[in-house]
Amino acid sequence: MNSFSKRAVIEGLNRAQKSNAQNWRDSLPTWCPGCGHFTALHGLYEAGEKLNIPPENFVVVSGIGCSGRFPFFIKGFGVHSLHGRALPLATGVKIANPDLEVVVVGGDGDGIGIGGGHFPHAARNNFDMTYILMDNSIYGLTKGQVSPTSPIGMKSATSPYGNIAHPLNPATLALSYGATFVARVFSKNRNEVSEIITQAIQHKGFSFVHDLSPCIQFNKLITYESLSDRVKELPENYPTDDKTKAMTFAESEQPIYRGVFYKKEISTFEENVQKIKDELKSKNNN
Amino acid sequence: MKHNELTVRFCGVAGDGVVTAGKILAGACASVGLQVMVNDIYSAEIRGSGKGTTTVRFSSEKVRSMGDGIDVLVGMAAKESISEIQDVKKDGYIIYGSSTPKDLKESESLAAHVPPEIHGIGIPLKWLANEASGSNSGRNLVALGVLCYLYDLAENIFINHIRKVFKRKGERITDMNVKAFQLGYQYCEENYPLNSEFEIKKDLPTTQLISGNDAICKGALDCGLKIFAGYPITPATKIMEIAAKELPKINGWMLQVEDEIAAVSAIVGAGFAGKRAMTATSGPGLALMSEMLNMAVMAEVPIVIVDVQRGGPSTGLPTKVEQGDLNIALYGGSGDSPRVVMAPADSEECYSGIQLAFDIAEKYQTPVIFLSDLFLGQRIETADINENINHDRNTRKKPTAEDIKDYERYKITDDGVSPLIVPGETGAFYTITGLEHSFKGNPNYESDMHSIMTEKRFRKFDSMVKDLPPADIIGDEDAEIGIATWGSTLGAILEGMSIARQKGVKSKLIKSIMIHPQHEESFRNFFSTCKKIIVPEMNYQGQYAALLKSRYGIDPIEIHIPAVDPVSPAKIAKKILEANDELVQ
Repeated sequence: MNSFSKRAVIEGLNRAQKSNAQNWRDSLPTWCPGCGHFTALHGLYEAGEKLNIPPENFVVVSGIGCSGRFPFFIKGFGVHSLHGRALPLATGVKIANPDLEVVVVGGDGDGIGIGGGHFPHAARNNFDMTYILMDNSIYGLTKGQVSPTSPIGMKSATSPYGNIAHPLNPATLALSYGATFVARVFSKNRNEVSEIITQAIQHKGFSFVHDLSPCIQFNKLITYESLSDRVKELPENYPTDDKTKAMTFAESEQPIYRGVFYKKEISTFEENVQKIKDELKSKNNN
Repeated sequence: MKHNELTVRFCGVAGDGVVTAGKILAGACASVGLQVMVNDIYSAEIRGSGKGTTTVRFSSEKVRSMGDGIDVLVGMAAKESISEIQDVKKDGYIIYGSSTPKDLKESESLAAHVPPEIHGIGIPLKWLANEASGSNSGRNLVALGVLCYLYDLAENIFINHIRKVFKRKGERITDMNVKAFQLGYQYCEENYPLNSEFEIKKDLPTTQLISGNDAICKGALDCGLKIFAGYPITPATKIMEIAAKELPKINGWMLQVEDEIAAVSAIVGAGFAGKRAMTATSGPGLALMSEMLNMAVMAEVPIVIVDVQRGGPSTGLPTKVEQGDLNIALYGGSGDSPRVVMAPADSEECYSGIQLAFDIAEKYQTPVIFLSDLFLGQRIETADINENINHDRNTRKKPTAEDIKDYERYKITDDGVSPLIVPGETGAFYTITGLEHSFKGNPNYESDMHSIMTEKRFRKFDSMVKDLPPADIIGDEDAEIGIATWGSTLGAILEGMSIARQKGVKSKLIKSIMIHPQHEESFRNFFSTCKKIIVPEMNYQGQYAALLKSRYGIDPIEIHIPAVDPVSPAKIAKKILEANDELVQ
């Protein structure tokens, strides 16, 4: 059985339902069998179970695209928002109630195409939330158009003569925008996806997971097979506190590295806000 | 000559201190209980040739508009002030600087343009300011001293207020400004006769000065606003500035975001998470927000969007007023999307109205668009605000234990409003979406479900109407001429009505803060008693008139005043008289 098949997810779902966590919704995903997104969903199930996140405090926010349906498959509150607007909407949820565990999910078109203007600001504010970007380098829900991460030369319905725009790299963007946890995973590695999503949620601050999540239906160039040849684990003893190194490794295209590139704990948005409020309060009391 | 009402205009360029002069005059008037209205008109550029005027109108009676014409023009910048002369009333004053260089071209000299029926008051503004402060600054204070003498106003009222305004800047600066004021007063006393007088009723209580933008933010803060997300835009920015300062003190936060789309997205998130949330913008921002605004309609999330309207379309006239956003507020979205649209008429209504906007948004789980405008937002006026402070006001419909058992986020109810739980509350959960959805909130594209849900979203508006007070009717009940207004034009139109009445023509007026939905019965009744209906508004198309025509089947006389200056009461009076002439014929 393929680790990323629909059956594997259903099994995971069954397992999760039987466990004590009782966290997960019973509606089944609408994705194509074999879609990379199943692995991320499974990873979020496992993270939620491991971290024992109560459904009433769990808010999953998505935008539009194949990834958009994600919140409907999670037991918890969800927002299936507009194309590109998941991040700013999620920041509103988080500042309204900092006790909530907020996870944002989206695709490459959603996150760095139409919603590209929001990503830097969610990162630089260091909101304590997690953003999982499932990158398939194609617009899948509209049946196969070139995306902001499609490689040069890729032919698609809207790039019949080959893509001429340079692809963006979501991981290096996250690093330069100031995300305090940046990782890359590959949907083929089910256990690692679960493990890194768990770490990302545990991280205090804005955590970003770049998930290489192939579209088996419309992308004939970025596939499990082609990625399997290129994706490689970060070297042993890789230091996660060196941003310059993180940039170099995240940028590499041959091989494409997976693992945690960078993590650093600094004060979060919520802590900074609370500090100001406390100062105002003590000033008032004096 | 005795006056019980005066209008003074300061005209200058950046650095002339026209805004400060206006503020001091307004503040001094309010400190002795006078009613005041202040309006600034300036260009969109911060520096450069930007001419600016501040006009202050004050009286013992309620000041409802900027009126027609001015009594005094203070020309801080000679060349720029020349075009303002046309507004000066007969027997009025023009105060100009007489210490300007001799080689000044006649075409650029204000003194050379003073018409015979107006008194020119030449004052060496620069020279006196220099004597007081050693620099050119303080010319505005010299001019205030002159004004104080010309109308025999009490010097100490001004001096006390100047001391109050400059207190923060230290004693030396304060003394300089007081001295400049006194030198102006003395120079005028020595060189010009006193022939005007302003009558102040004694022992009036001090009045409160507030702008529409201030009042909106204060009203929102007082009724439980917790999250504000915004992006700076003229003329709405002041609201987010106040929110930034005040919200953290009451356990809230103002988040400055990257654009208006993020602003509305963030408040949808906050509204979904259970907090009273708001943004404030102007027309271009509202245009950007329209997609997410529609999601709030679809997902039934309570939010309040303030639009301080400016001239349009596009970037338009950032510093000029227009009521051009009614159509985008009402109709600017995809699909059948009902929106609540409200429009306050003055600062008092900005305060009470924004509280009503929140109550409606939360009770009926819907976005509310609150249409203020530049004139109302920025003008400062005396207002009698009825404070209503409750930081934990909550009007959301809570679910019963029965509701929670098999929770339906979009449960069908008689009033269209479903019981609502929010993240963090136990018992049930759901996902909101911009897709059409089932009772539980899951995507559903069945045509039957779409009919049921569309009907539900509209039914909330029927329930709302039952909650609404009847529209306000002002004027002579037996009049045959009826006027329908919306927003900030009210004051000027009421003045126009009283001018017409003095000429023997009665009229009456209907207005409601609710544009949609509206208490239709009171409008129908009102229109049925009118032989002529006039609908004045500050846009080219007649957007409100179009709404009233389609809603009530009336055939009104439309007055379209596109952009730029506040409405003239005299012009409104003229229209009323013309309408009367037609009736008599």
